[in-house]
Amino acid sequence: MLKGKENKLIERYKRCRPYSDYIAFGVLLIMLPILVEIGVLKYSYLTIIAGILIYSIVALGLNLLLGYSGLISLGTAGFMGLGTYLAAYLTADLNLPFELSLLISIAVPMVIGILTGLVSLRIEGFYLAIATLAISEIFRKVFVELEVITNGFSGKKAGYPELLGFIELGRNGSFVVIVVSLVAVMIIAHNIINSYTGRAFQAMRGSEAAAQAMGVNIYKYRLLSFAIAVAFSALGGVLYIHFFKYTYPNAWTLTLSLNILAVIIIGGIRSIPGTILGSFIVFGVPDLVLKRLPIIGDFDGLAYIFNGVLIILVILFYPTGLIHIKYDIRKLASKIRKGKENYSDHGSVSAE
Amino acid sequence: MIMEALVQSEKIPDNTVLKIENLSIAFGGLKAVDSLSFDIKEKEIFGLIGPNGAGKTTVFNCITQFYRPDSGVVLFRTNTGEVENLVGKKPHEIISKGLVRTFQNIELIRELSVIDNILIGSHIEFKASLLSQILKLPKARKEEERLRKKAEEVLKYMGLYNIKDQLVAGQPYGVLKKIELARTLMCNPKLIILDEPAAGLNEVETLELIDKVREIRDRYNCAILLVEHDMKFVTDLCDRICAISFGKLLAIGTPQEIQANEQVQAAYLGKEEE
Amino acid sequence: MSIFIQILLNSLETGGIYALAALGIILIFRTSNTTNYAQGSISMFNAFIATYILIGTGLPAYAVAILGMISAFLVGVLVDRIVISRTQKINPVSKQIITLGLIMIFLGLAPMIFGTDPLQFPRFIYGSHEIMGATISYNAIVNISVGIVIMLFLFFMLQKSKWGLAVRATASNDIVARMMGIPTTFVTMASWAIAAALGTLAALMLAPTTSVSISMMDGVQIIAFLACVLGGFQTFHGPVIAAYIIGFASNFISFYISSIWSDSILYVLILIAILFKPNGLFGKKMVKKV
Repeated sequence: MLKGKENKLIERYKRCRPYSDYIAFGVLLIMLPILVEIGVLKYSYLTIIAGILIYSIVALGLNLLLGYSGLISLGTAGFMGLGTYLAAYLTADLNLPFELSLLISIAVPMVIGILTGLVSLRIEGFYLAIATLAISEIFRKVFVELEVITNGFSGKKAGYPELLGFIELGRNGSFVVIVVSLVAVMIIAHNIINSYTGRAFQAMRGSEAAAQAMGVNIYKYRLLSFAIAVAFSALGGVLYIHFFKYTYPNAWTLTLSLNILAVIIIGGIRSIPGTILGSFIVFGVPDLVLKRLPIIGDFDGLAYIFNGVLIILVILFYPTGLIHIKYDIRKLASKIRKGKENYSDHGSVSAE
Repeated sequence: MIMEALVQSEKIPDNTVLKIENLSIAFGGLKAVDSLSFDIKEKEIFGLIGPNGAGKTTVFNCITQFYRPDSGVVLFRTNTGEVENLVGKKPHEIISKGLVRTFQNIELIRELSVIDNILIGSHIEFKASLLSQILKLPKARKEEERLRKKAEEVLKYMGLYNIKDQLVAGQPYGVLKKIELARTLMCNPKLIILDEPAAGLNEVETLELIDKVREIRDRYNCAILLVEHDMKFVTDLCDRICAISFGKLLAIGTPQEIQANEQVQAAYLGKEEE
Repeated sequence: MSIFIQILLNSLETGGIYALAALGIILIFRTSNTTNYAQGSISMFNAFIATYILIGTGLPAYAVAILGMISAFLVGVLVDRIVISRTQKINPVSKQIITLGLIMIFLGLAPMIFGTDPLQFPRFIYGSHEIMGATISYNAIVNISVGIVIMLFLFFMLQKSKWGLAVRATASNDIVARMMGIPTTFVTMASWAIAAALGTLAALMLAPTTSVSISMMDGVQIIAFLACVLGGFQTFHGPVIAAYIIGFASNFISFYISSIWSDSILYVLILIAILFKPNGLFGKKMVKKV
């Protein structure tokens, strides 16, 4: 009797893939704060993982932009930073409800993003990179100079989110909000990719001429993909400030934008699980592995070099990203199995 | 401006689907297309021939507005029955009028499946909002189902149904050509432009293509404009042919008339003197 | 009036520095068909090397600058040999991402090797002169003239020499160039080397004012790109002229409007200018072949 019910559940799970995978992943992650509370996991690890998850959200937006629409943006950090400052100002200074602040903190960067896109996407896709680089620098200048709102170099503080006006979340609650947001974003990204909009993005990237001939308004869809990317960046910013509770101008530099780009290149372009993997590699490995290495671990630049070298290696030798290693492993495994079978069947080594 | 208005008010004959008049475009001083005029009747299979570099693909690009012609009009009877001058329209607006094309160098999306590539052909029929797509609301889901079924019908018709979920990357050349052709059938076209549809096909495939094009013309009630170097293909298939050289019109007529035309022969074979 | 002359003179110097940086970008763009985002960080890296040579040997600044440019030349060759030469079959977007990876490597290496403290780099020559009520330092005159001489030399070589012909051919169509027997790999390598040298010279000219630090080329970098965008990617002279225009605009805005926000205002103005002239001030519309 029980076996039957189990099978049905597994069938259900398999049918709902990949949604069920994403939700299962989320459930696993929600266990982590529990592990911290009972003392199995150190709190510092939770912070690192929170960062990884937040950057995954931002990277998913960039993946839609670069992986599916073929556009580079170098302004990711700027828009994320804008999200942090807006959320901090709206909740801490103006005491607006968390939900309202969330909406505004995403909407405002989106508007600025669309304006930037209107200018730079009109010509060639690659002008976006330079325009977003410039805009990001302007943002950083604003973060420093507009002291009335941003506190300049001292940075700005905010608190944990307060849901529905009265549920005050602590550190763990905030972590759960991050996990829920990530799962939601993964589902949204998946739905976009598999919709006609996603096909239009891919057509744009694969062949502009064909896309136009089939009725895709390139300009409009470039703007759309950039707006989505900015929205995800801003969302990441809001989640960041409400977990780490502190933001400052020099956190939002080109360095971060490049690291987030590294996430999708290394992990897997056009792959949602690849993005998560990439985020663990780019933002996890430095803190968890590199810093603990003897002698060279003390150097700050090591992580950066590591990621830079990895980007180049991946593009040259493994262009679709490291997530696809699992296919190679599977192929290797089945080859080994086949080899063993042949051996036992014929009693001799068969030529492959 | 006034000339265009005059021409527009002068409607094209009822049985004509495309009429280009005095179409010209120059690139940096070199006239690629020089005052070209021809018309295509409804359900006609019309061929455009000329030696390499004669400007055939440029003519296509001027019709589909990839290039904006320097002068001339492209009058098209759209799928609503009205006549419009396509010149000045944006390239992505053309397909909604009922005019669709294939490409000389196959322009398919390698990372997508066969059926997804076809579905791009019906992009303009998708109306659901982004929110609807993100949340997979009924409107988006129903629309996707409906058009996916339509795509499956087209794939069955073209004999591609069994590979519908395979990636385009890695498919043999003949299959890629078929997929590009299938893509044009998704939007209920009134005129299909085929850019070298037989290029790279072997004899058997070419004969099949001739039958297929005729079938498509009958089944979809559309006209076909094609460019092709394979003379046998062109003469077997086309109702009328237009021969051009250096962007200029040489002759228009039935395949027999064109084959007998001295100027055409000279352009193709080259004159000894001069 | 004397203020205007002052601004003009300052702009010639700033513009010259921007022009050298922009020239590096456009050179690589037209021969490798890549936007080299790492130009600034490579220049910064070699500026550090030059400064270390200065500290170590005590040679005069101009000699060190030449050595710095030689080191940049070698670094450019290395980068080309190790990385760029393998990217022939890779699509343009991925090539750009590789240069982004290069930024990360150089930005990571620099503090590891040179430390995080800014270093001082002296002017090439001290003293100043008065013209029409404005002062111009001899150093600025040196910078302006050296910049102009180098640019004129490069333009001359591009137009008249065999190497220049090879560069222009590769820039126009590298496949055909290779078929014509032009050693495009050498052309590409030379471009990377020369671009690195130009960028380093720009950095060293800038160094007296900003000191040699990891972020020294950040602003110049953005302006170099914007100069290429404004000047158009189809010519070599377009970005150079645009760089001087931007240099003038930058000083003008900085003085008359606001020196804190001058960069931001400048960026926005340039982006708006592109709206009206999408192919750059000097660019021609590129017709895509389908």
